[in-house]
Amino acid sequence: MADPNVPQSKKLSPENWLSLRKVSQIFFLLLFLVVFLWSRREFYLNSSLESGFKETLINLPLRLDPLVMLAQSIASRKLLLGAILALVTVAISLLLGRVWCGWFCPVGTILDWIPVRSWKKKSPAVPDKLRGIKYALLLIILFAAILGNLSLLIFDPLTIGYRTLTTAIWPVLDQGFTAVELALFRVPFLAPAVGWFDSLIRPAIFPAHPAVYRYGWLFGGFFIALVGLNALAPRFWCRYLCPLGGLLGVLGKYSLVHCEISENCSRCESCLPACPTGAIQQEGHMFCDPGECTMCMACAVDCPTGQVNFPAKSTRFFHQPYDIGRRKALFSLGSAVVGVGLLKSNLISDLPSPKMIRPPGVMNDMLLSTCIRCGECSTVCPTNAIQMAVFEGGVEGFWTPVLVPRIGYCDYSCNACGQVCPVEAIPPLNLEIKRQQVIGKAEIDRNRCLPWAENQPCIVCEEMCPIPEKAIELEVVEVRAEGGGTITLQRPRVISHLCLGCGICENKCPAPGMAAIQVSAHEGNHSGRNQHRRGHGD
Amino acid sequence: MTELSRKNFLRFLAASLSSLGSLYLAGCLNQDKLLSRSISPDKISPTPFLPDPTEPVSTATVEPTPTNQPTETPAPSPTLAPPDLAVARNGKPEEMVRAAVKALGGMGRFVKPGDQVIVKPNICVAYHSYEYAATTNPWVVGTVVKLALEAGAKSVKVMDYPFAGTAKQAYQISGIQAEVQKAGGKMVVMSGIKFVQTDIPGGKDLKSARIFDDVLRADVLINVPIAKNHGLALLTLAMKNLMGVIYDRPYMHAKLGQRLADLSTRVRSHLVIVDAVRMLMAKGPSGGDLGDVKKADTIIASPDIVAADSYAATLFGYRPDQFGYINKGAQMGLGTKDLNNMRIEVIPFG
Repeated sequence: MADPNVPQSKKLSPENWLSLRKVSQIFFLLLFLVVFLWSRREFYLNSSLESGFKETLINLPLRLDPLVMLAQSIASRKLLLGAILALVTVAISLLLGRVWCGWFCPVGTILDWIPVRSWKKKSPAVPDKLRGIKYALLLIILFAAILGNLSLLIFDPLTIGYRTLTTAIWPVLDQGFTAVELALFRVPFLAPAVGWFDSLIRPAIFPAHPAVYRYGWLFGGFFIALVGLNALAPRFWCRYLCPLGGLLGVLGKYSLVHCEISENCSRCESCLPACPTGAIQQEGHMFCDPGECTMCMACAVDCPTGQVNFPAKSTRFFHQPYDIGRRKALFSLGSAVVGVGLLKSNLISDLPSPKMIRPPGVMNDMLLSTCIRCGECSTVCPTNAIQMAVFEGGVEGFWTPVLVPRIGYCDYSCNACGQVCPVEAIPPLNLEIKRQQVIGKAEIDRNRCLPWAENQPCIVCEEMCPIPEKAIELEVVEVRAEGGGTITLQRPRVISHLCLGCGICENKCPAPGMAAIQVSAHEGNHSGRNQHRRGHGD
Repeated sequence: MTELSRKNFLRFLAASLSSLGSLYLAGCLNQDKLLSRSISPDKISPTPFLPDPTEPVSTATVEPTPTNQPTETPAPSPTLAPPDLAVARNGKPEEMVRAAVKALGGMGRFVKPGDQVIVKPNICVAYHSYEYAATTNPWVVGTVVKLALEAGAKSVKVMDYPFAGTAKQAYQISGIQAEVQKAGGKMVVMSGIKFVQTDIPGGKDLKSARIFDDVLRADVLINVPIAKNHGLALLTLAMKNLMGVIYDRPYMHAKLGQRLADLSTRVRSHLVIVDAVRMLMAKGPSGGDLGDVKKADTIIASPDIVAADSYAATLFGYRPDQFGYINKGAQMGLGTKDLNNMRIEVIPFG
């Protein structure tokens, strides 16, 4: 194609760079989805803790996220080996600025694709000082992490990505596919094709059991709102709110390569509408704020005179009014201290509600300072037992994992949540050890239990109990029948010291509505680190 | 490429949606014909067996009758008719299955060349390996698959719908997947969409249920339960094993006996092979304690599901009439529970 006689420029044109970036964005979005799908599938089958290749891959995106890893290390007072991967992102950012945002981030990619053209004219100008929100959020997250709180990590873009895929996008797709399949399966000549799809394609994409998540509307709505903010300005989230963007922006200020507009610029302002983050300022001469620039190259393409370059040389330090200053730092510190203090006075982690059943191996009072709220445990849980808490764990425990037995039970032969957790907030346990973890205790409500309350035969809880010794025993009793005479009944009784609280009994209990056997969180799952705050010294 | 105007796009959408919708409605209208592939009554009663002159009848000696077991009539059989039930003892799983099926007249009696065969073992949980006797012995299942393929089956699918965990995991942990694949069969994960609402015309209490489509379509169903303890049913055997092919199982638990018998009128097991190589004597159906497992090294084979369950019950020291589903099954003419009035051939090994 290229004429060998014409010397080819070794440099890529801005258009080529732009295409390259789009390819990179699509590639990383697809990679994110593939990694998500892998965690969705039963990859944990026969996976021992030593052969952790897939686990490593599945955790890769979050381990590359410096905000999550930094805050988690601070709050948990523990440095995970995998967290070192985040230094790769830090190094890239120091070298190339916020390329993460422009080239890799899956949320950023989706926001890039939302059309804003028609809205742009109508929307009011967003004041530039709002850019400070992301820096304030970043500082509050880090200060709160020092105080052992990770609640605001719900605003990290990758955790948002995982949560939304898990609780909103996938269940909706799953339901849609199921409905279409069910309908088409009834058409005789389509049934074989549907059967083929269902046995080959579907298991690779969707979970074995239908995905069920409480508050799907909330998680989906959060993401729709985030995307909808694009109506106010392109990449509104990335410009003004994203705390990871804030962290990378701070690093970007010192990056080696950055966007530079030459002195010969004609000030035609073609670059201004091109820039998705509005990084180009025009006070005095035109210049680009490297803390805001995502290195997307759109300005270079739109510049008619080729005055935008990306040289590799040390940067002048631009301080913008919205950047981090003493006042912002003090405000964030104050907010973090007051906020965490208010949350802690709730004692939610020390006096948890009996319904806060945590995944196996978790110390209930430690989870809040180790969990990054990504929801991967919820993604991988094959029975959908692991749901994300909303208010039952207090505001502090927003979107932390909680088991809801009526939705799903903790499968006796599954240890996936601990394997998939990127920060070991749920400890990785082999199956033998996981089978000894007590997460709760079951109790029978004799006013609702069929053999107790209605003299009807039922042994489902005993049948389902996976404990080899059976934590539910059946007592054979003779009771008076309603019409006279006696009948022999088997009545279940929980042997508390054998019960692990897996919740399969509650899940399968045929009593309508509320189960007649219910699991409560296990009181013993406390590290006791904060016992002094309980006040009654037990 | 021509650009599609919005109007044309909407027209296209409406046309395709309405055609899909009418297809769907057409499917619904003929649902009875299309979906309930009902079995004609003559197929429900066991098909009369015509002895194959080329197949030599097993000449194994008849074991002396154990005290707790019914009298076994020695088979003088002037017609060379096979016994109603064959029991192999004290052998390896594979040789016992082969001998028992051979005694019944060989797999060719049940599987015709080109048949699509479904083997339904009991793979109820993914907790333990086969030694714990919660799931059917893998070599028993593997041998059944081999025999079916040797008889000329076009395909042999093996499936169950575990009540806890996922099928994929249960297939692997039970060891059944490895043996089935070695034998040339296929493990099928039973997907929720393929359970179709099906009428049960012969049912007294259970008149309709969502039954797995492949099972309804198969030419031959071979039911391969493991004999084990169950809190409500006393034991779970062949008739209870069919719970795995229907969707709403909690519903079955009330009036379990009648509903299981009803289900058996619709989902007919052409051959039943009860695995009693290991029997779970307590803490069923999931088990987990090797102390509850008894090695019995017995295989029971019969085309009569009630007879097979009745004989298996005696291995645990129960009488067949202690079981709701055996009584109801016998009442409904699914088979006979009277072990004294059937011809039983015992094949001892070792």
